[in-house]
Amino acid sequence: MKKITIDPFTRLEGHGRIDIFLDDAGEVANAYLRVPELRGFEKFCEGRPVEELPRITPRICGVCPGAHHMASTKAVDAVFHVDPPPAAKKIRELFYCAHMCHSHIAHFYALAAPDFVVGPTADPAQRNILGVVAKVGVAAGLEVIKHRAYAQQIQEVIGGKATHPVCGLPGGVSKAITEAERQDFEGKAKSLVEFAKFSLKLFNDVVLSNKQYIDLILGDTYYMTSYYMGMVDANNKVNFYDGDIRVVDPQGKEFVRFKAADYLNVIAEHTEPWSYLKFPFLKKVGWKGLVDGTDSGVYRVAPLARLNVAEGMATPLAQAEYEKMYSTFGGKPVHHTLAQHWARLIELQYAAERLLELCQDKEVTNPNVRTIPTATPTEGVGVVEAPRGTLYHHYWTDERGIVQKVNLIVATGNNNAAMCISVKRVAQSLIKAGKAVSEGLLNMIEMAYRAYDPCIACATHSLPGQMPLEVVIYNSQGREVDRLSQYTS
Amino acid sequence: MKTLVLGLGNPILSDDGVGLQVVRQLKDRFDKPDLGFVESSTAGLDLLDLIAGYDKLIIIDAIKTEGGEAGQIYKLSLEELRPTYHLASPHDINLATALELGRRLGMALPQEIVIFAIEVADVTTFGEKCTPIIETAITKAVRLVAKELSEH
Repeated sequence: MKKITIDPFTRLEGHGRIDIFLDDAGEVANAYLRVPELRGFEKFCEGRPVEELPRITPRICGVCPGAHHMASTKAVDAVFHVDPPPAAKKIRELFYCAHMCHSHIAHFYALAAPDFVVGPTADPAQRNILGVVAKVGVAAGLEVIKHRAYAQQIQEVIGGKATHPVCGLPGGVSKAITEAERQDFEGKAKSLVEFAKFSLKLFNDVVLSNKQYIDLILGDTYYMTSYYMGMVDANNKVNFYDGDIRVVDPQGKEFVRFKAADYLNVIAEHTEPWSYLKFPFLKKVGWKGLVDGTDSGVYRVAPLARLNVAEGMATPLAQAEYEKMYSTFGGKPVHHTLAQHWARLIELQYAAERLLELCQDKEVTNPNVRTIPTATPTEGVGVVEAPRGTLYHHYWTDERGIVQKVNLIVATGNNNAAMCISVKRVAQSLIKAGKAVSEGLLNMIEMAYRAYDPCIACATHSLPGQMPLEVVIYNSQGREVDRLSQYTS
Repeated sequence: MKTLVLGLGNPILSDDGVGLQVVRQLKDRFDKPDLGFVESSTAGLDLLDLIAGYDKLIIIDAIKTEGGEAGQIYKLSLEELRPTYHLASPHDINLATALELGRRLGMALPQEIVIFAIEVADVTTFGEKCTPIIETAITKAVRLVAKELSEH
């Protein structure tokens, strides 16, 4: 097989590209996910007061700004060696549960449901949120919009702005919650709890009762083993906002448990010449390439990983669903990538229940929401569980709090290696002897990609006529034999 | 007629913020009760929340086309954008799909939509300013949108 050098400076269009390389027999030898590079983020942050980063970093991404804001705010707390008062932490967590609801609802109904509710082999023109609404009805469609809006409204009131929050300050938040606001949030939270139940029932009735979908979920095409990483509370239950970070091995045994500040003892980043996105891996296991299994340091994050890592959900309805999922699969951990969608809905249930708990906590309207820092700023790490996985923000400052250096491991970055492996596995099962290159292949690859809900170097513009993912297939001589993209003009 | 002028873009990715810059310069020139100016860094479903209740929508955004020259400005209709109902982003729905969804759910969405798209050069370097050619295009775009607002 000819050795190919992939030039990382090739301009990429859209959000990402997958290059598939065939061997001499026409079987898939390798698959690589390439992403466009965003340049100069560190330089952009250097020289700024560190307390500005919670307002800057959310702009990296138009979809999970709440996650960046929270991780950044926690990192700034750490830089200033300050501990916020309890009410501030609860307000932040309340906001953050609303963010998880907002994000998970949007992902399930706009991105996951089309494949399952409409069908993976259905006409692409139907395989979108419109097809979902056509199947579940306008009334249900309006419920989706309404509940997404409820979660958004809670974020807007606490965060200070729609979409890009500004409430996080070193040592707390910018304002307290009034009793009137708390009551409004409580009503919305109750409705969200019911909506989460509805969504899980929909998943049960449409997906779990359909043999074709079950086969897809349980089949080999979307199966890979790995370590799993997620944040847990003191009882090893999933927590999105705070806790220790826990890693379990492919058999489900605890591999390591660490505090945010110690992440560099656990994670290292491998680079490849063909990708701008680095490959985080577990240092103790080592980088063995794009392979899965117990001997490879590849790990996964995001909903399925979080549930695999935890010993349960902290709220009752979510716990019941958690038990149902694992008993359906016959044990823990679950390695089937498409189970992400089920895990995501279980997390939606927990986020809504936890949101309600916090709304009903008397301390959440306490006016003391800020501890003014007094120590000299130095260095700090802030970690949260973004909808897409564990998110690390690490800042270094001088003694005035001016940023000297920044390091981020974004949620999707953690999943980089796993995404490549998953995509390769799909390609291997659908391309044999150089054949079977079809639109069905592209959607099957997209399904693997969508299960990870990747958030890679997003700008917020839309590129008309472009699709988010392009697949290019090369033969063993390195010559392009096919290029798949949907809806090019 | 209620009109919304919506500038879209990312303010920290150089030319990607051109739509926001245009709106910023425009809003000081107009003071009419049924004319709104919004700068937004969001897309898809979130846009529905912003545009509901308006009769006419003018969108200003960055665009990259094959063979396009940086600084060119296009006036497009939604149909000319050749939208598809498939996903345009790994984690959101595109404008056409969002609009169609809103319509099917009975939301009061603008009947008339005009898009001013500015061909950009650099959307991958972090920075708060546009590149020089695009800075010039901003002035031109402001004139074109102002013309659209006063003529219609």
